[in-house]
Formats: sequence, C-alpha cells, structure tokens
Amino acid sequence: MAKTISQEFKKGLWEEIPPFRLVLGLCPVLAVTTTLENGVGMGLATTFVLVCANLLVSILRNVIPPKIRVPCFIIIIATFVILVELLMQAFAYGLFLNLGIFIPLIVVNCVVLGRAEAFASKNKIVPSLADGLGIGIGFTLSLGVLGALRESLGSGTILGNPVFGPNFQPFEFMVQAPGAFVALGLLLCIMNILGKK
Amino acid sequence: MLATIMFTLGLGGTCGIVLSAASKIFYVYEDPRIAQVEGFLAGANCGGCGFPGCSGAAEAVVSGKASPSVCMLVGPDNVAAIAAITGGEAGTAEALKSYNECIGGNRASDRYTYFGVNRCSAVASMYGGRRDCTIGCLGYGDCVRACKFDAIEMGPEGYPVINFEKCVGCGACQTVCPKTIIEVTPMSIRLTHLNTESDPLAPCRQTCPAEIDIPRYIDHIRKGEYEAAVNTIRERNPLLLTCGRVCPHPCEEMCRRAIEDDPVSINQLKRFVADIEMNSGKRYPIPCNPDTGKRIAVVGGGPAGLTVAYFLRRLGHHPTIYESMPKLGGMLRYGIPEYRLPKKVLDWEIDGILNLGIDHHVNAEMGFDFDLASLVGAGYDAVFFGVGAWNDYNLNIPGEELDGCLTGINFLAKMGKGEKVDIGKRAAVVGGGNTAIDCARTLVRMGLEKVYLVYRRTRKEMPANEVEIVAADHEGIEFVFLAAPSKVIGDENGRVKGLEYLKMELGEPDASGRRRPVPVEGSETVLEIDTIISAIGQNPDLSFKKEGTRLDDLEITRWNTFEVNPETCQTNVPYIFAAGDSQTGPATVVEAIGGARRSARAMDQFLRGKPVVGVPGALLASKKIKESIFERVKGIKQSERTQMPELPVKERIKTFEEVDLVISEKDAEKESNRCLNCCRLCYDPDITFDDKKKSAA
Amino acid sequence: MGDYIVIIMGSIFINNIILAQYLGACPFVGTSKKMETATGMAGAVVFVLTLAGVITWVINTYFLVQLNIEFLRTIAFIMVIASLVQFVEMFLKKSIPALYAGLGIFLPLITTNCAVMGVTLLNVQDELSFVAAVITSIAYALGFGLALILFAGLRERIDLGRVPGPLKETSIGLVTAGMLAMAFMGFRGMV
Repeated sequence: MAKTISQEFKKGLWEEIPPFRLVLGLCPVLAVTTTLENGVGMGLATTFVLVCANLLVSILRNVIPPKIRVPCFIIIIATFVILVELLMQAFAYGLFLNLGIFIPLIVVNCVVLGRAEAFASKNKIVPSLADGLGIGIGFTLSLGVLGALRESLGSGTILGNPVFGPNFQPFEFMVQAPGAFVALGLLLCIMNILGKK
Repeated sequence: MLATIMFTLGLGGTCGIVLSAASKIFYVYEDPRIAQVEGFLAGANCGGCGFPGCSGAAEAVVSGKASPSVCMLVGPDNVAAIAAITGGEAGTAEALKSYNECIGGNRASDRYTYFGVNRCSAVASMYGGRRDCTIGCLGYGDCVRACKFDAIEMGPEGYPVINFEKCVGCGACQTVCPKTIIEVTPMSIRLTHLNTESDPLAPCRQTCPAEIDIPRYIDHIRKGEYEAAVNTIRERNPLLLTCGRVCPHPCEEMCRRAIEDDPVSINQLKRFVADIEMNSGKRYPIPCNPDTGKRIAVVGGGPAGLTVAYFLRRLGHHPTIYESMPKLGGMLRYGIPEYRLPKKVLDWEIDGILNLGIDHHVNAEMGFDFDLASLVGAGYDAVFFGVGAWNDYNLNIPGEELDGCLTGINFLAKMGKGEKVDIGKRAAVVGGGNTAIDCARTLVRMGLEKVYLVYRRTRKEMPANEVEIVAADHEGIEFVFLAAPSKVIGDENGRVKGLEYLKMELGEPDASGRRRPVPVEGSETVLEIDTIISAIGQNPDLSFKKEGTRLDDLEITRWNTFEVNPETCQTNVPYIFAAGDSQTGPATVVEAIGGARRSARAMDQFLRGKPVVGVPGALLASKKIKESIFERVKGIKQSERTQMPELPVKERIKTFEEVDLVISEKDAEKESNRCLNCCRLCYDPDITFDDKKKSAA
Repeated sequence: MGDYIVIIMGSIFINNIILAQYLGACPFVGTSKKMETATGMAGAVVFVLTLAGVITWVINTYFLVQLNIEFLRTIAFIMVIASLVQFVEMFLKKSIPALYAGLGIFLPLITTNCAVMGVTLLNVQDELSFVAAVITSIAYALGFGLALILFAGLRERIDLGRVPGPLKETSIGLVTAGMLAMAFMGFRGMV
C-alpha cells in the first residue's frame, strides 16, 4: 500500500478513472455532457468538492465517530456543494444555468462520498489531496471526452466552433438522452478493450 | 446569519434525536457480523454492487450470497478484513473453499453439437446439456467467468479446477452453476443438508442411511488427504471409528463395481482413516458455529443421542446428555461385544464428541431420577429421545422363569458392565439376528464347551449380517436351524437342564416373503444345556411414560416406538424429537445416526424459530435416483477386493481381542483406486474405459 | 383534475426520470441485474419519494422560504431525506416485517439516490403546489420503477446471450438503456 503521492494522483487518471473503472456518478455524466464546456464545468465543480471534502475528511478523520461517519461526510460534502453553487452563481452564471439541478446533486454523487469513505477517512492529508485531485481530474477528463464526442457528433461543434464544415448534418440523437446512454456504453467498451493487457 | 445557524443546528439536532430514539424503540436483532461487514463497506449506498445498499450487500456477504469484494469502492485491505469476518465462522479456523463435485475425467460422449449460446446456464435451461451424462458438470465454464479471483480454470479434462490458494470462498461460482456441482457452502448448511433427488449422488451415497459423501472421502484417501477424508465423514457421521467396525455397510451392496467384480470395501476405508486419526494421537479439529444459547436435553447417550448432541453442538446449541447407564455409548457399549468394538476405541470416540463442549450426566434414568417435567422446569428449549430398544421379547414358553434363562441385550449389557454371569458349560442362543450372534460369539470367548444357535428358519433367512454368520461358523458355533423352542426343562433345583424344541419345515411364503416355518408333529428334541439366551428381538422400554405426567400427550406407535414425522423426527409434541431404535425399532447404528442428523436439522430449525419442515425431494435412503443406478460398466480391469485382515480363529476364541484388523496404507490406496467415482465422473456405460483413455490420449 | 393527469402521464412517460432526465442512473444500472432486486427497488423508491416529496415541500415552504435561507436547501434536503430513510427503515423492520422484507432492504440505497434528491429539487424549482408536488413525486417514482423493471427484464435476457468480451455487463447494459430511452422518446407526441 506504500504508494507515492504521484501514484495516488495518477491512479485516478487511468486505473480507477470514474465513471469507467468505477461505474459510479453516472447521472451528471449522462446529463451534462451535451457539450464539452458543460462537461468540463461539471467536472471541475466536482473536482473542487472532491478535493475539499477529501481534505476536510482527512483532517477530521480521527475526530469523527465511526458510527455516524457517513452522515458526517454527507454534511461536509453538502457544505462544499453549497459553496460551489454560490461561487458558480457569482462567477459563471451561464454555466450555472446550464448545469441546473445537477450542481446540488453533486452531494449525492457516489464518487465523492465513495472517495471520502474509502480513501480520505483512512489516509493522511497529502495523499488524500492527491487522491481527490487525481480522481477529480480523471472525472473531468471523462466528462470532457464524452462532452466533446457528443457535442461534435450531435451539434457538429466543439466549444461552439463548427468542426465538420457547413455541410455536416448534426446527429441529433447524440445530444438527447438515448445518445448519452449509448455513447457512454460504447466508450466503456473501448476502455475495456484498451484496459485489457 | 443567526437564522442559518439556528436552522442548521435545529434540523441536525431534530434528526439526531429522532433517529437515536428510533434506534432504541425499533431495535431488532440481527447477525452482528452484518454490522461488522457493513463497517468495512464504503457506506455510500451507491448500488453499484447490485445489492440494495450497503447493509443489503453486507447481509448478502454474511449469508454467502456475495463475495467479500462485492464493493467496488473499498480496497484490498477491507476485502481481506471482510473475508476474515465471514470466511471463518466465528471461533473456528475453517475457511470456506469452493469444492467441485464433478471430477470430469473420462467424458461422456456428446449427444449433439449446438452452435447457439454456449453457456452452462443457457444450455441447462434449454436442452439439459450436450452430453450423455446428465448428472455432472456441463463444462461451459460459467463458474470460471464468475470467479473474480481467477481461482477457477478449465482443466485439461474439461471440468473446472479450483486453485485453493486463490479461492476466498465467495460463492460466485456456486451461484452461477445451474447444477449442484460446484459448492461453497457454510458449515451449518453442509451439516444439515439432506440428500435430494437433484444432487449428483453416487449409488452408494444414496444408500447410506447417514448420507455420507462416500466417493468424496474415498477420493481424499486416494490422494492421501486423510484429515480431509475424516472431516468429510464427520459432516454426516460423528461415530466413524464405531461405524468403521460395526456397520453392515448397505452402501457396498449398491456399489457399481460389483457389476464387474467385487464392491469397493467402503467400510474398511472408513475404518482405515478413522484409525489413522486415533493412532496419530491427536484429534483433527472440529469447528463449531457461534453459540446460540439454546439448551437441549438429550435423553439417552447411545448412537442417536451422541449424534444429535454432536450436530446440535456444531450448529451452536448446547446439548446435555442424560444416560441411565454408568457410561455413555448405549448399545455401542452394552450391546456390541468387546471383540467387535473395543471399549478403548469407543471411549476415544465419545471423548472426542464430548470435547466439543457437551455436558453429560450418567446414572440418570428417565422417569426415576428425572422426568420431562423436571427437564422443562430446568429450562431446556427442546428434548430429544434416543432411548434405544432395550426390552427383550420373551419366548413365551413354559419354564422361561427358571434359573439360567437369560435375555440377549440383558446378557450383553451385563458383560459390557463387566459383571459376572453364571452360565455353566453348555448354552443355547435362540434367535437369528445380530444380537443372537453377538451373544453366541461372546459365549464362545467365555470358554464354553458347546454353544448352539437355535433359529426357526434356515440360514438363508437369518437377518444377521453375513460376515457375522460366517465368523460365528468359523468360531465353532453349532447352528440348529428349523427349530422352535417349545419348553425349558429344569432340574430339581430350579436350574435349566435342557431346551426342548420342535423341528420345523418351510411352508408357504408369508407376508414378508419368507417361507413360513410349520412345526412337524411329534418331532420334539431336547438339547442338553445349562443356559438359554433368548435374543428374538427387542422393543423400546418406554415405561417412563406413565399416566398423569407431562408425557401423556406423546403419541406412541403400536410397536411401542415414538410416533414421529419421518422427515423431521418431530413428535406430536413440538419440542420433543426422537430418533434411533426407540423411533424405528431395532435397527443399525448407521440408521440411528441418519435419523439423529435429520432430527438435529429439524431441532435447529425449531430452536431458531423457523418452521420445522422436511426437504422436498429428500431421499430417505430407500428411494433411488433412477438414472444413476446404471447397470453396465464395461472395460473395468478386474482387481481383487482387499480382504479384511482378521485374528486367526484359534487365537480369537480365547480372548475378547478385536477380531477385525485394519488394512494397511498400501491396501487402502489400492482399494480407493478401485472406486469408479460414480456420479463424479462422466462416463458412458456403452464405451469401455480403455477405449476412452486411448482416444483422449 | 385534467392538469394532474397531464402531470402524471408527463412524469411517467415523457419526462421519465431516468430515461429523459438522467436522474437515478446509478441504481438504475446497479440494481437492474436481477428482476427481483429491480421490483424491490422500484417499490422502495415509490415509497420514499412520496414521503420525501411531502416532507421537503413542508420544509422548503415553511422554513427555508420563511427564514429566507434558500441557499441551505441542499444540506437541509439531504439531511431530511437521509434521516427519513433511516427512520422508515427502522420503523418497518420492527413494525411491518413483511413489508420490510420486500422493500426495506432497498431503503438505504435511496439515501444517495439522485432521483429522490433530484425530484424534490425539481419540485421546488417548478414552484409546485403541495398536491401537485406530491402527485409529481409519485408519478416520477412510478416512471423510475417502470423503466427499472423493463430494463431488468432486458438485462436478464441479455445475460443468456453471447456478448462480445469488452461489451459485457455494464457496457452492453448502457447501450440497451439507450435503446430503451429511444423507445420512450416515442411518447413525446402524446401530450
């Protein structure tokens, strides 16, 4: 278990990258990845909560009574979620409107709670930070890839700029709900192929 | 600002107070291991594991439905911690391991090839398997795919091979197997499992009244895994030293090997491993489940009582045995003579059972020293009766009250206690059962001039075991067949002088199919003897069931045995169970053990507050699974059955030394290799083994 | 009355909580491996969502809005839902064991189910009246149950089939969910 800090960080980018390796936190993945911008925005918001929650849980890990640890974690996470919500409202109002109720729903994202429980509550502050950052960036990357894929195919744009020329017929299926499921399923399949040694 | 803080505190406080109050008010007991396991799961209730929440997953892990690695969020440390909680049942060192029932080998030929979905589950539900063998492994490897630990792989013989180093006993393979081939079951389930029609049971295993997994322990012996063999036997039969010596082994009669040459010497192998343990000087550990705090009174310390106490103890209950005789063992001690079952061996066996933590009281007679009311008063949760059949039938002929007339069990019991019995120089034993033979062979060893065995039919009809009859013959006992005692002749001192009998001839068959003996007029003959022992059968002594006691409601059959539901051994009084001779009438040790285990299973259900029910499709040793009793086994290389070593007749009739000796390790290996592994091995009755080996190679 | 029927049909079929709103995807994927689990989960969600709909509406209207602290909504709702689920679980276990055996074990799973949290938030966002909020909650829950049970049926069939290695389990499950979502898109013209 003696992993270095950089290993703790890196594992979130590939070995345990959510939502592919850990099939968790699917709702935001499906819902907000209609565009690259939304995906990355959501990813960064989640990363912020992940890192902060990991940090606080790790600091308080010896203080929190084990019996009520899960409610405690939820409250810690909820606090940071509210913070993110207020910050976004102030500095990125457009994104805030796009993401809608999925920002408060970070509180019930299993990835966040899962990391607090499985990692931060048992490890020291620095590795917990690295873990939160790694998993968060991994999550952001996944959302970004999925967002880019769906945006390019579904609307023919990346970050609002057309990519396939004017004759491209947007494949609207991709930005709608069914496309979200299918795209995620196929990406998971590709990850499985790549992951096989 | 203030409102925010007040609201948050208020809400948190309210939630906390309501919940902590609720947890007290709505407290329900649950297995503490569930909470322990839950402590190691992530607690995120994400549902990623497929179970309803973390407590659902914990419950599934504890009950063996899910593997310790079920949660994708926790690391290997926690998985190991969870496995430690569930793997070994508390207080034991026994870890769950996957066990493969089918050992493949010479595969049965394929009936057809199917190009559709080649999965065990699909194949089993669609057309029952491609092979001729419908009992064993299907060989598509669902279990291999199901194993998360890479512990199973398809072996070269086409059946899954388990790597015990990697197996954590999660049970995933068992869940996916559409047959009951691959098993990972907790001890309590293995101990209480009753053979059913859907199990892959070899013919011997179906016949054994104690339901021992015979091919499995023979396989262990073949591989030299003696401790595993003993443990396999102990899952069904705690009296293996005893049964290895005295069991009439009905299993060997069903042995398929006998179709080509001689049956495998199953019982000799059992005795061989049992003796290995005893002679090794140390006992193999016997794991027991965590305590349940339930107490059971076991009335009668014979084979049934000891067995039921043993199983109940291993299931976590606390049995206490009450025995009327000075020592435990019942018929084993007082009915079976020393030369068949040495007391030293029996003591060692009984000590092993008592060492599990079973209390016992000797010289405590039901109806005299205590009764049902006092047991109920002492707070026992259930009562088991295994009081045996100790009441000899009388001959009902004149002169039976004379000095020198004894009864079989009475005589053997006196010998067992070491009391002196005055028997003179010539004796006659009346009867043709095992008790009669035991009496006669005991008399020979007491140095009598002449011992007769008087039986009213012929040798063919004798109910005693064949080996016993042969041994008695060798030891010089004179058989007087077709003879019905009519009068005991006494001398002037009121002592037996002779036995008058009528010669018989066989007439028409009676209800039992045996030809009825008919007396020949005027054929009275007198045997000059000093002692008569009548051993013509026994029935249970239920004299403790007196009017006006708590036992009034208990139903008794017209044969003076306990009336029970045969599947559960429960009497009409729900907390009273009965098995052994006092329930079946005089029978074998192994039948008493089988009944007692069935009883222990039902008592466990009763004590845990579950409905007491049998198993649908359970085989009560009499039914057979038709397709497993195949009638052709070609291509077996003839090999002789290992003969049982025994003391020479000249030596043995002088002493009470044990007659039958144990086979050597080399012979045991040879004998175990004669086992055909029925129902563990796919083979084709139509194709010879040699052909198969060649084509496989 | 007509309005309510529109709400019900709309919430179950058109705006199906999983297949159109993407809420509750984790349990949707997680508990759909077996039909038995899926039906239990569906029942439990209906039960909790109804209760949560009532209680969060009350909290929101009489506390958060009155005290002008709407920004605490997230933390208040999650605490209320978590406690409620826990309380209901304990209550059922003791008082109605038969119901607990069927639904109870699924309750803790709902704490972090975004479907429950999401619906309560949506109710607040849409500023629904009390009755409408309760009806919407029930209808969403029914929609969740419907989708879950349909999906479980599909997955049980897929399990028997020969799925290419990399597509196995979740991957093929998600693609199937996509197909199901497409089928549900057909309801769009209904209202």
